[in-house]
Amino acid sequence: MVEAEGLRKTYRGFQAVRGLSFRVEPGQVYGLLGPNGAGKTTTLRMLATLLKPTAGRARVAGFDVERQPLEVRRNLGIVNGGMRVYDRLTGYEVLDFFGSFYDLWGSRLKERIAWVAELLRIERAVLGKQVREMSSGMQQKIVIARAILHQPQVLLLDEATAGLDVFARRALLDFVQQYASLGKTLVYSTHVMSEAEEVCDRVGFIDRGLLVYEGSLKEALELGSGSLERAFIRRLEEVAA
Amino acid sequence: MNEVLIIARKELLSVVRERRLLFTTLVLPILVMPLLLFGPVLLFGSLAQRTQESVQRVGVVGVPAGLLAQLRQAKVEPVEVANPQEAVRGREVEAALVYENGRYTLYGRLSGGTTQSALVVEKVQGALRAYKDRVVAERLRAKGIEPELLEPFQVETVDASREQERAAGLFAFLVPYFLVLFIQMGGMPVAVDATAGEKEKGTLEALLAAPVPLMQVLLGKGLAVFVMSLLSTLAAMAGLLLGGGIVRNHFSAQLQALQRGEDAPRLGGALALDPLGYLSILVTAVLFALLVVALMISLGLYARSYKEAQSYMSPLMLVMLVPILFLQFSDFLRLQDWYFALPFVNVVLALDALVKGTATAIQLGLTWLSTLAYAGLALYLAYLSFQREDVVFRN
Repeated sequence: MVEAEGLRKTYRGFQAVRGLSFRVEPGQVYGLLGPNGAGKTTTLRMLATLLKPTAGRARVAGFDVERQPLEVRRNLGIVNGGMRVYDRLTGYEVLDFFGSFYDLWGSRLKERIAWVAELLRIERAVLGKQVREMSSGMQQKIVIARAILHQPQVLLLDEATAGLDVFARRALLDFVQQYASLGKTLVYSTHVMSEAEEVCDRVGFIDRGLLVYEGSLKEALELGSGSLERAFIRRLEEVAA
Repeated sequence: MNEVLIIARKELLSVVRERRLLFTTLVLPILVMPLLLFGPVLLFGSLAQRTQESVQRVGVVGVPAGLLAQLRQAKVEPVEVANPQEAVRGREVEAALVYENGRYTLYGRLSGGTTQSALVVEKVQGALRAYKDRVVAERLRAKGIEPELLEPFQVETVDASREQERAAGLFAFLVPYFLVLFIQMGGMPVAVDATAGEKEKGTLEALLAAPVPLMQVLLGKGLAVFVMSLLSTLAAMAGLLLGGGIVRNHFSAQLQALQRGEDAPRLGGALALDPLGYLSILVTAVLFALLVVALMISLGLYARSYKEAQSYMSPLMLVMLVPILFLQFSDFLRLQDWYFALPFVNVVLALDALVKGTATAIQLGLTWLSTLAYAGLALYLAYLSFQREDVVFRN
């Protein structure tokens, strides 16, 4: 579960996030939708304990992001579009490296790697290659594999399909639905409405650090006469007016 | 602690995979250091030796027959020239000697470093001195005076330096220089890669999202940089000792020629330390490496990119080289104990004293304690820097 209450973040006087509140239940995919610079990445970084909130509070998998950062990180995985993994290590070494922080060793690690490889459709032979020798789509799969290797309760995906080819993007979207079906909590941040339409159960529109709309996917589609994109634009125009 | 080792192992694995980095950090110092250091010296020594042994043409004008014979004895061939200065400039002759109205004028190409002409000028000067002594002796004898009258006593100069200091020779300067240089040079590529490099490549965020306390991430990265710093320094020292040994044992003739017959081993140098001396050098180097590593990690974390990190770290190297320049003139100063508490200066002075065998317990104690304190402070600053969001996400 993810709970955010009045979350704020200010950078040298600039309010990137202005009192955001939302809640995501287990098994749910929450779409955090907004234009570039709306505050999506800052919000997810606060949930992932990478940034400290200026005000407000948030709990991830039942742990407070400020007071229990290590517990939060143990139960969380995060992927963003700009995230990369060590290009001079092999795929297997990357997973071994990150797995060791979650007490994944030996046969347990092997099982998890087999699980994640199957889930993301990564061939075993590819894992033996150095990351720099992989295609960008495969590299992104390794980034995702690293984030879910420990089967976190909460998964935060921030523009995770950026730079992916059509096959890798398809694999990721299928994975999101599959992972939620395991009872996991997902926050899916994007500005691509079609992706959100496909995978999210609930959506929140964020603009200039404020949550300007929240509802189920069905409600949002009704607002936009069957189009999430229309709903998004309509709501943002209303707020601007 | 386990996480520290895991992170350090990952950083070192990345280095091992980058063969170019591995080569420049570990292999190149062993191979190139002796060549760079002793190559030009030996080449010059060999050229000097050849110049001393072979015969060169020297222009002469009005030079008496007695001196001509003396010149031939000094392995130069006197040839008559019309314009001595032009003959030297045009390299028709290596030097020229003119005798006019009881005065000798010697021409040579003496600018632009050590030239072959300068070496030939020395030969001619030697011949002139010998000729002058002979003429003086002849004239004194003609007046019934023994030439020994001009030498009422003998002068002998003895090098009173300690055995270690004499044996160290050039090493007394080179050991501190290369330790300081390679501790930074060896660690810098890893420090940049593990800090600003991670930011630039976008890998730092994934690491920071893992359940590892920041201090352990910092220590893991620091440990990897520290290991590479020490390995690179050991490689450079091995190259230096190897080169020194080779020069001392196989090229003493060239050294003799270069040093005009002085003690040959001085240039090649050798460390004549007891085990405690070597251990003290190691402790000093390790503590200094801790300080340098913490500073590099601090600067690297602040930088946005590889280039920016390098531009911050390069001046650090210059700052560290200043005390080495100071070291050349340290003999003119009376060293106070508190000098051994000054950052960077203390390490250079302590290494110099250790190599020469003059280090005292107070000097070493002050150096080690202060360097450890500075390293702790630098590490704490790096930790504070790592906690700042505007630093970590400054890309």
